[in-house]
Amino acid sequence: MAKNESAFRVIIVLVLIAFFSAFLLAYVNNITSGPIEENKKAETKKAIEIVLSTLTDYTYPEEPIAAEIDNSPVRYFPAQAEDGTILGYAIIVQGPNGFTNDFDMMVGLDSSGTVIDTYVLDHKETPGLGDGMTREPYKKQYRGKNLQNSNWNVKKDGGDFDILTAATITSRAFTGGVHRALLLFKKLKNEVNV
Amino acid sequence: MKLSEKLKRTFFTENPVTGLLLGLCPTLAVTSSAENGIGMGLATTFVLVCSNLVIATLKNVIPNRVRIPAFIVVIATFVTIVDMGLQATMFELHKTLGLFIPLIVVNCLILGRAEAFASKSKVWDSFIDGITNGLGFTFALFILGAIREVFGSGAILGYQFWPEEYRTILVFVLAPGAFLTLGFMLVGMNRISKALEGSK
Repeated sequence: MAKNESAFRVIIVLVLIAFFSAFLLAYVNNITSGPIEENKKAETKKAIEIVLSTLTDYTYPEEPIAAEIDNSPVRYFPAQAEDGTILGYAIIVQGPNGFTNDFDMMVGLDSSGTVIDTYVLDHKETPGLGDGMTREPYKKQYRGKNLQNSNWNVKKDGGDFDILTAATITSRAFTGGVHRALLLFKKLKNEVNV
Repeated sequence: MKLSEKLKRTFFTENPVTGLLLGLCPTLAVTSSAENGIGMGLATTFVLVCSNLVIATLKNVIPNRVRIPAFIVVIATFVTIVDMGLQATMFELHKTLGLFIPLIVVNCLILGRAEAFASKSKVWDSFIDGITNGLGFTFALFILGAIREVFGSGAILGYQFWPEEYRTILVFVLAPGAFLTLGFMLVGMNRISKALEGSK
C-alpha cells in the first residue's frame, strides 16, 4: 500500500466509486422499474379476481379510491356492472396490530355487504403459524359473513371466529381487518342513501 | 490451492456459517424453509462474487485509509441490484426475503472476504473464492432451512408430506428453533470436519 496517500487522491477515488455505482444503479433501476410496477399491478388484479370470485362481468377503476375508517387509511375498488350499478367492493385494509406489524389484506364484499373472500397482500407474520391466515381452512370461515349475522371477534374474545393454533394475535388482526372493510361498506352505503 | 480442496474447506472445515460463524443474522432469520435458505444463499453468493471481482480489480487504486467505505459502497451497490432484480423477476420470493435482502450489506461474510481475501489476491482467485464461499454459505442455509421445514411444517421444499391437520413441532419455525437447530448443526458439522481433517 502506498504511504503517501494524499487527501486529494482519497477524495477522487471515493467520488469515482460512488459515481460509478450511482450510474450502475440508475441503469438497473431503469430496466427493472417497469416489470416491478407490472408485478405489483398483476398481484392486485389477481387479488381482486379472488376476492370477487362470485361476481361476473364487472369493471373496476385502474386506481383505488382512498378513504379512512377507524383513523386507518383504506383503499377500495368499486366493482360496477355496465350500467353503473355497484355489484360489490374490493377493499384494501390493514389488519390492525398483527404479530409483527399491521398487514395489508384485501376483502371482497358483494352488494349486500357480505364477505365473498379475503386475500392477504403483504404480511410479515410468523411462517408456519400466523401465515395460516392465507390458507383455505382458516379463510373459509369468513365467507358469507356480514355485520348482521356475526359477532366480529375471535372466539377467545366471545366472538364467532376460530383462531389459528398459536396465532391468536394474527387471528384477531385478521378478524379486525375484515371488520374494518365491513364498516367501510356501511359508511359508503349511508352516503349513497343520504 | 486445488478447487476440490477449496470446496471441501468452504463446505465443511471453514464453512462461513458452521466453521467461521459469519453472517448469522440472515442465517437465523430466513431459514424457516429450505427454499428461503437457497434463495438467500444464492442472493448472497451473487453479491459476494461481484464484490470480490470488483474489489480485486480495484485493489491497487483504492487508498488504504478509505478501503472499508469503498468496499461498503461496492457491496451496497450489488445488494441493491439484487433487490431490484429479484423484485422484477421473482416477485413471490422477494415477498418472503424482501426484508432481509438489504441486510446483506452488513453480512460480515462479504466484507470479511473483501478485506481478508479479495483486497490481496488476483481477480481470478477472488472470483473462485467468492463462488466457493457463497456456495458453502448456501449449503449451510439449505441444510438449516430443510431441517426446520421438515420438523416445523412437515414439508420439504414446499412439498407437504405430513397432513396439515396433524401437529408439527412448531418451535422449529420460530426464532428459538433456529438457534437450537444451528447448535446441533454445529456439532454435526464439526464432527464431519474433524473426520475430514483426520483422513488427510
